[in-house]
Amino acid sequence: MARDSSTFVVISPWGKRLLTAFFVVFLLVLYLPTVLLVIFSFNDGTVAAFPLEGLTTKYYGLAFNSEEIRKALGASIWVGLGAAAIATLIALMASYPLARRNVRGKALISALMLVPLVVPTVVLGVSLLLLFQKGPGQVGLGLTRIMVAHVVIAIPFAVLILLPRIASIDRRLEEAAYDLGATGLQTFRLVMLPLIVPSIISAFLISFVFSIDEVVIASFLSSDQVTYPVYLYSGLKFPEKTQTLIPVATIMIVISFVLAFGAEAIRRYGDRRLVGK
Amino acid sequence: MAVSAKTPAPPVPKRQRSRREQRNDGGTAVSTYGLLAPMLILLGVLFLAPLYYIFLFSVGLKRFSPTDALASLNGELNSFSTGLWSKLVSVDVTVMLPGLNFNVPVLLIGIFFLVLLVAAVTANRIPEYGNWLVGIAFVLLLAPFLTIPAGNNLLRLLELSSDGDYMRLFFKSVTMAMTSSVTAVLIAIPVAYFLAFCVGKSKYTWLLIVIAPFLTSYLLRVFAWKVILGDQGLINSGLTSIGLIDEPLTFLIYSQFTVIVVLTYAWVPFICLPIFLAFETIDRRLLEAAMDLGATRLQAFRKISLPIIAPGIVAAFLFVFIPSIGEYITPTLVGGTQGTMYGQSLASQFVGGAFNWQFGSVMSLFLLGVVLLLTFATARFLRAGGGGL
Repeated sequence: MARDSSTFVVISPWGKRLLTAFFVVFLLVLYLPTVLLVIFSFNDGTVAAFPLEGLTTKYYGLAFNSEEIRKALGASIWVGLGAAAIATLIALMASYPLARRNVRGKALISALMLVPLVVPTVVLGVSLLLLFQKGPGQVGLGLTRIMVAHVVIAIPFAVLILLPRIASIDRRLEEAAYDLGATGLQTFRLVMLPLIVPSIISAFLISFVFSIDEVVIASFLSSDQVTYPVYLYSGLKFPEKTQTLIPVATIMIVISFVLAFGAEAIRRYGDRRLVGK
Repeated sequence: MAVSAKTPAPPVPKRQRSRREQRNDGGTAVSTYGLLAPMLILLGVLFLAPLYYIFLFSVGLKRFSPTDALASLNGELNSFSTGLWSKLVSVDVTVMLPGLNFNVPVLLIGIFFLVLLVAAVTANRIPEYGNWLVGIAFVLLLAPFLTIPAGNNLLRLLELSSDGDYMRLFFKSVTMAMTSSVTAVLIAIPVAYFLAFCVGKSKYTWLLIVIAPFLTSYLLRVFAWKVILGDQGLINSGLTSIGLIDEPLTFLIYSQFTVIVVLTYAWVPFICLPIFLAFETIDRRLLEAAMDLGATRLQAFRKISLPIIAPGIVAAFLFVFIPSIGEYITPTLVGGTQGTMYGQSLASQFVGGAFNWQFGSVMSLFLLGVVLLLTFATARFLRAGGGGL
């Protein structure tokens, strides 16, 4: 009854019904495209259009026998894992002093770190293209270049996950470790690390999910071997190619959902553990 | 960092604590900056250096062609010049108000918008009527751009001279980005309100369900809308089969409307988060107190909730507007010829038909300047609404 009365304060019973209806419609529209893609992955036609022409799983087979798709997927996973690992490591190193110490110019460093998030990706993409093609050494393009470019954008995400967690750990735990004779590294490994492992995994997964879906920068920086999103993007421009792309896409969507919910579940597990201690 | 704590107990405990704090708070300068160094080096090499390069290109200090002769053959700049910049911005705008037509350089229009932006951001510090000023400035800022997707009313209000194609495209992109961000915010507010106040303990799970689609492939969500809005898509074939229409509705696909719908759809899940967080900070007892004192729910919302969530709403708006204005994937896939945007034209200077790296650099820096200006002007809203962002 207590909860009802507090809900009553913010919304009338009729308003609540209306809002519930709105929310239900919103969720339906939100998930409609995903559901349609899953349906069309089993469609026995050559173009993704209505009416459906019977169900088949042959495009799943076709997709997985395609050398191009497998190579693109492999490239994407490699780029994603590399970018996520580098970004998480660098973000972890940077988060600790930003959370704990009086760094001179902290505001400037934070701003510099976050700015890549608001720079349009197309600008970031072309500027890196110029640097790699015409800059010192003319390093050229390729998958490792895509990977390091993704690190630049993944770092702010990772720091935004890691920094609040490190800041929320009770300082006295570290102080106790120092007083008991632990070195800085030991303190980190034995006291901090167990507490922030869930956030590290969460940061890694978010970076990976970002990288494996990134198309703008990747399309500017890829040379002969493209990543999966770039392959998908070039395929989606031609209706006749799309039907073989949808099955892999469906699987990727499912994986993204699993990773997203997994990252969140791990983060919450970490929260609970921290509160428990 | 490796200082051992096995020092003999100092006689004064107070002193011991201060030394300990010094060790933990200050660390050593070497370890502090050593830990920050990888990130700073990476950002320097892969973020600041590229921007420096793009600047060099934009003023003609660098060129695409390997030799000077080839450069002049391709019409590229060979030495420092601001010519490309003036090519982009020296455009006259015909302002057409009812019964009043006059020409203004686009730079003046830019300054006018800048002043409005500053007014909108700072005016609420003025006592008494400041909040009204904020409101008026925001309305003036948004009004020229807010369109029902069919038309392009900014261009009806302001007609650019014919050589201002890039500027025209830029304002068109601003209009489209503005329309989709305002729509997205208007959809996200009730959703966030519902999640914050009406679903009880499971709200975080529902929030995750709302946000999850944002984390799935952007390309595929765009493509799925092609299946919904296309000539043989869900809506057209549905309407045809029940006999409402004979011909497919053509404005549904390959138009500005499509781009705006898809951009709105793509960003709504994400901005539910900052608005939800803003609603979460409202202390319900304030609302209860207001109603006990005789306020209606609407009054309580307007006087208590709205001022609290305003920064979150501005942040949410920017979270959609900033990526949308430079968008080029969505218009390429669903925009057709009608729905082209500035980002596409920019990209085509580097990898497509137009192929002019120097002018593309100018276009990039112009876009970057506008976005950064907007970000810095509204940074405090972003800080309040974006959880530290």
